[in-house]
This record gives sequence, C-alpha cells and structure tokens, in this order.
Amino acid sequence: MNDFFPQVIFTVFGIPVRDTIISTWVMMALIVALVVVARRRWPAALEMLVGFLSDTVSDIMGRPALPFLPFLGALAIFIAVANIIGVVPILVTPTSDINTPLAMALVVFFSVHYFGMRAKGVIGYLKDLASPIFMLPLEVVGQLSRTLSLTLRLFGNIISTDLIVAVIFALVPLLVPLPMVGLSMFTGILQAYIFTALAAVFIGAGLEASEPVESESASQRVSESAS
Amino acid sequence: MAQLEPGTLVTVITILVSGVGILLGTIVPALVEGRAVLKALEGMTRQPEAAGDLRTTLLIAMALLESTAIYVLLVILVLIFANPLLDRFF
Repeated sequence: MNDFFPQVIFTVFGIPVRDTIISTWVMMALIVALVVVARRRWPAALEMLVGFLSDTVSDIMGRPALPFLPFLGALAIFIAVANIIGVVPILVTPTSDINTPLAMALVVFFSVHYFGMRAKGVIGYLKDLASPIFMLPLEVVGQLSRTLSLTLRLFGNIISTDLIVAVIFALVPLLVPLPMVGLSMFTGILQAYIFTALAAVFIGAGLEASEPVESESASQRVSESAS
Repeated sequence: MAQLEPGTLVTVITILVSGVGILLGTIVPALVEGRAVLKALEGMTRQPEAAGDLRTTLLIAMALLESTAIYVLLVILVLIFANPLLDRFF
C-alpha cells in the first residue's frame, strides 16, 4: 500500500522531488519529441488535433478561439498524455498526486480573471463581477468552488481507477487488470476533454459582456498558415 | 459494547458509515444521470440535426453530475485508508 502514494526520489536544494514530477519531465520530453517527428512525416495528424481543439473551444465559447487556444490546447494535451502515461512500467501517473490537478485548476482560476481583465479592463471586469452587489459573495464562493471541483473531479477519477487497478493487480496479476487499464485510459482522455471544456466555459463566462476580438483576422490567419 | 476501546469503536462506526455512504453515493448519481441521458436521447430523436450540440452538452453535464459521486468516493477512501480520526484515540 505504501507504493500507491507518491514517493520522494531526491531533493534539490532542500526541495523534495517526487516520482510524479519525474514522470512529468519524461512526458514533456515525449510530447516535444512526438511533435517534432510528426511535423515532417504526418502534418495532417497535428492539423486534425488542433482543428478538433479549436472547434471544441469556439463552439463552447461562441467566439473565435484563437486567443485562448494556446492555453486551452496545452491544457488538453497535457492532461490527456498525463492520464495515459501511467501504463509505461517505470512511470507514475502525474495526475494521481493531488498537487498536479490543483496546480492546473489554480492556473485556470487565475486565467479566467486575466482574460476577463484583458478584454474588459480591470475596472469594467470588477464591475461586471459585482453587478448586482448582493451577487458578489456568491460570485466569490462560486469561483472558489469551481476551482475545487475541477481539482477533485480530475484527481478523484484518476486515483479511483488507479486504486482499482492496483487492487485487482494484487489479487490476479496475469490478464485480469487489462480491461480496467483500458477503462482508465479511456476515462483519462474523457477527463482531459471535460477539464478543457469546463475551463472554456469558465473563461467564456468571465468574458460574457465583451465583443469577440479579431474575428476576421483570426480566421484569415489560421487559413493562411494552413495553406 | 462497554468493553470496546474507543479506537475499535471508531473503526466499527467508520466501516458502517463507509458502507452506507458508498451505497447512497453510487445509486443516486446513477439514477439521476440515467434520467439525463433519457431526456437527451429523446431530444436527439426529435431533432437529429441538433445531435452534435446535445452530445457536447450531455457530456459536460454528466461530468458535473459525476463529480459529486467522486466527492463521496474520495471521502470514503480517506476514511478507510488514512482515517484521521484514529489519531485522537491512540
């Protein structure tokens, strides 16, 4: 049971480094290597991926997705690969340590305010936040509970499937854990999609009253770079 | 019941509460999600061209409904594997 929780591997200047962090480094190197290889050999695959993410985000937000696509696309790819990479023997799933989903939910929390303030100005955004003044405590509590629910949803899904696989592995190691491992990979990709979609919903709700920026030039820029 | 140490009593109550908690925490979200899927499928058969929108909304809504079941599961896991209340008696 002790191996199930994250272990500290070494310390760097007094900061403990866990095995989930080493998994994250390996995962980042893997994503960069895959993209560098796929740029020459199968560029259509990368275009399909970016197109899918862009369509999803712009459907949800109701405005062109280009200003938000780097952040939300990186979030989606990071969480999807992080949930899958637990299958590789030495590595541990990074999102099974509560700090990783918590960090990502905090980044989404701050990005909602950043994008809102960039679109509406600081005073305009704060005024929209407190438009009927009795809604201000509800808004604050709502923001905090959204962040907490994003964290717990991702962490809970991943660690519950990990725990079930660990228990089945302790009972019958030979072939029986395989369907559960497949289910955990499917759940991982689904949870990545859900996290990104919810982040897009929150950012869109923060931008509510503002106009869509750069509508013509965004689609022109995407079609120019694709051809 | 009078000869039980407080530690054993806490463990017994934890086991009972975990069992009842998991029972309620899995049945209620499953029923509610089933009803949501039913309404979404009815809408899809009525208007097949809105199926894409309905599917996206259904997926997001199911994730939000599932999250309360996940909260229950997390609390039960913490109670079973790392019960913080046992430290008060030992």
